[in-house]
Amino acid sequence: MRRKVLFQLIIPLVCLCTLFLLLNTGGSRQVELLQISVISRYTDGSQWSVTRQGMEQAAEDLNVELRILSVQEGGSADQQVQLLQHEASSGAEAIVLVPASSTGLQSAVADISQSVPIVTMETDMADAGASDCIAVDPVLLGETLAGMAMNGVPQGGTILLLNSSAGPCAVRDTLQAAKTRLEAGGRRTIVCSPAAGESLLGPMTDSLQSHQVDAVIAFEASALEMAAAQSASSPSFPLLYGSGSSAAVAAALEQSYITAIAAQNAYSAGYLAVESAAKAARKGIKETTQPLEFSVVRQETMYEPDNQKLLFPVTR
Amino acid sequence: MRSPWRYLKHRWQKFYRSSSYQMVLSMAFTAVTVIGMVFLGLTLALRFTQSTNDLQQESAQKMLSQVNLNLDSYLRNMMRVSNTAYYWVIKNADLAEDAMEDDLSLLYEGSRDYLVSIAVFTDTGELISSAPLTRLKVGVSPQNQDWFVAARERSENLHFSTSHVQNLFEDPDYQYRWVISLSRQVELTSSGTTRSGVLLVDMSSVGIEQICSDAALDDPQSYLYLISSDGEIIYHPRQQLINAGLQQENTLTAAGYGDGSHFETFQGQRRHVTVKTVGYTGWKLVSVRPVTGLWDDYGRILGFFLFIVFLSIFLLVFVNLRLSEWITAPIKKLDQAVKKLEAGKEIGDLNVGGPYEVEHLSHSIQSMVSTLRHLMDDIVQQEEQKRRSELDVLQSQINPHFLYNTLDSVVWMTENGRTEDAVVMLTSLGRFFRISLSRGSAVIPISEELEHARHYLTIQKMRYKNKFSATITAEEGLEGLYTIKLIVQPVLENAIYHGMAYADGDGEIAIRAFRDGDDVVIEVRDNGPGMPEDVVERLLDPSGPAAAPNVKGSGIGFRNVHRRLQLTFGQKYGLTILSEPDCGTTVYIRLPALGEEDAMRFNKEGH
Repeated sequence: MRRKVLFQLIIPLVCLCTLFLLLNTGGSRQVELLQISVISRYTDGSQWSVTRQGMEQAAEDLNVELRILSVQEGGSADQQVQLLQHEASSGAEAIVLVPASSTGLQSAVADISQSVPIVTMETDMADAGASDCIAVDPVLLGETLAGMAMNGVPQGGTILLLNSSAGPCAVRDTLQAAKTRLEAGGRRTIVCSPAAGESLLGPMTDSLQSHQVDAVIAFEASALEMAAAQSASSPSFPLLYGSGSSAAVAAALEQSYITAIAAQNAYSAGYLAVESAAKAARKGIKETTQPLEFSVVRQETMYEPDNQKLLFPVTR
Repeated sequence: MRSPWRYLKHRWQKFYRSSSYQMVLSMAFTAVTVIGMVFLGLTLALRFTQSTNDLQQESAQKMLSQVNLNLDSYLRNMMRVSNTAYYWVIKNADLAEDAMEDDLSLLYEGSRDYLVSIAVFTDTGELISSAPLTRLKVGVSPQNQDWFVAARERSENLHFSTSHVQNLFEDPDYQYRWVISLSRQVELTSSGTTRSGVLLVDMSSVGIEQICSDAALDDPQSYLYLISSDGEIIYHPRQQLINAGLQQENTLTAAGYGDGSHFETFQGQRRHVTVKTVGYTGWKLVSVRPVTGLWDDYGRILGFFLFIVFLSIFLLVFVNLRLSEWITAPIKKLDQAVKKLEAGKEIGDLNVGGPYEVEHLSHSIQSMVSTLRHLMDDIVQQEEQKRRSELDVLQSQINPHFLYNTLDSVVWMTENGRTEDAVVMLTSLGRFFRISLSRGSAVIPISEELEHARHYLTIQKMRYKNKFSATITAEEGLEGLYTIKLIVQPVLENAIYHGMAYADGDGEIAIRAFRDGDDVVIEVRDNGPGMPEDVVERLLDPSGPAAAPNVKGSGIGFRNVHRRLQLTFGQKYGLTILSEPDCGTTVYIRLPALGEEDAMRFNKEGH
């Protein structure tokens, strides 16, 4: 009788309850928290803050804990190498890197990317082992900026190119592409590069004083803001073109201190960088994100709906 | 070829016939239970799903109503500001004499949490007055902006724009704010003449975002967004992603929805969408809940519900098994009792308990068994009586026959003056009859039976003038043994009538009693003419021709003895006759070696 009750009642009952518990606990599986470190060459700037917002949104969507680290203003690649090594050894499962110099970080990225996936922004370091790069096409951007400047500068005119990077990176690639295109278009180019640790303002002012410059091209938002500020204070400042968008850039554009800009969606870049890093860390997938798009914005088009969204991101 | 229906029917009938009552009962109970529970479960599940859907829709609509109420309140505030500016400031001011800046600033300060700016423009777009910023940007053409055009086109209405960056006033801080413009046409008075103008109230979209983002959504996957009547997003929790092109929203379709609940599939995802139109503006509040999210919740609840259903079914099945076992237990006991009965075993008390019908059945069977036993006992008794009657008849066939012959001999001797012989014969006859009667005992000691034979032979030898001689011997050890009486005399009678009657003094009859294992054999041997084989066979054949018991040579004596022995002791006992013509006849009378106790038992049973 007891055996009969055991077979007829207890065993099936236990099986049923176990199955129920398994089904119940199986449904509440959650994606594991991922730790991603972001090492940037920027410390501040409204464009970088928008990029950070994109990163934070991606982190929230993908259950990622972000550690955002920046080198000191004008920081060198060496500092970024130290940060890379520190983060890799601290248990970061993926790293998003905005390199200060592709050559200075080459070996460190090659070394660390073997154990921790690295996604770069602005500068492509796929040849060093980085799993993905979130950036606009620097050559296309350079050529576009050159084309914009050529509209305002006749042949034979001189265009000052502001090299704001501390080492070889996407800024230099963009500058080089612009330079090539400008020279091919019959314009003279002057490249203004600050010495190590020096601000760009001094060399730019010197170049403007020593040469008859018809236009200036800045290749990143901070340099463009600096040049726009100079333009506002100097009525004779040449035409100013540049890459990057921020509130200050938009204001300068509206006041005609900047003639035209090539703007990219910084929020999108930040989001995609963290998304790509998370995929690389979780699934080991090396993605190849298509180059980001950018738009040419002038004063007269800056309040077009799409450009409004680009220049004045909704912040919450 | 059989149809599947017939095949199933056949299979079912086969199964039904081979199944126990308990099994059939259990299966019937279980089937009814499972069907009932599944039906009930499905009904409840459908009802539950429907109720939950209704509840979700109701909840979403309530939530939207609440947000709509807040939004309505917010917009009314803005409209109140617009009304105040118009009816209390603009209408009371003569532009030629009065400046409105102070009043507008006062109004702005009263609602600065929501407002970005208040401005009054002429119908050509010239700024008359504004607060808090007072200078238009260079090159700005308000008359070309949408809010201005809309106010001029629909002069009787208040017009709400969609969210946009305000680009009218010079801001020393270069702040670019997302605003929603409330514009209306107004009448401006200047030196007693009136002209039309446009009143603009720019409200911060942050206030609307705050209202929408504060909405209490009951599911983390749900969200709410606000669109204009043509599908342009005013608020969306993931507006930045949408602006960046990383995400899409089904705004154009949603703009076409009427108020209420809808289901849609967007980018492969099925969604439950609830829409509520915001008054005055034509905006639509849209709440979205992925159906997968709904089903996650439903799934958990339904999973638990199904578990309860299955658990109930299982417990009911178990109870059914136990119940059917309990119900069928008396019938099983009855079945086992009948099987025992069939095997001829004693079943004892057949009270199996259970409900009235089963108890009645058991009582009936018990009664039937009892009746059957009585009937069988009666039959046995009747058979016994019949046997006894038959024995009596057989025995009665002997006595008259022998008495007739003996008395005949006494008469014959008396007539011939042989009185002494007659005395001897009569003495022997007397003793013969005394043994024959044996005080009513049917079973007597073997020694008495042999004594009985001796008296008989004495009588017959005298009758046949000593034509034969006879010897009677008994082995030692037969003294305490018993036999049914009158089994030797009929054999002797046949030996004398058929063997010795024609002898010339050389006839011999030898009687010998001896043990043969558990049996006793009495051998009667004569040296008469013997019998052919067919006669021997006919002698013991019960179906042989009957003859009157008093007719000599009919063989009736043999058959009597043989039949009596078999009736009394069984088929293995009786007579065996060996005879050859001219060689004599030997008859073996085989009977069990009966002790005194057995003899007493046989006597009691009336043998």
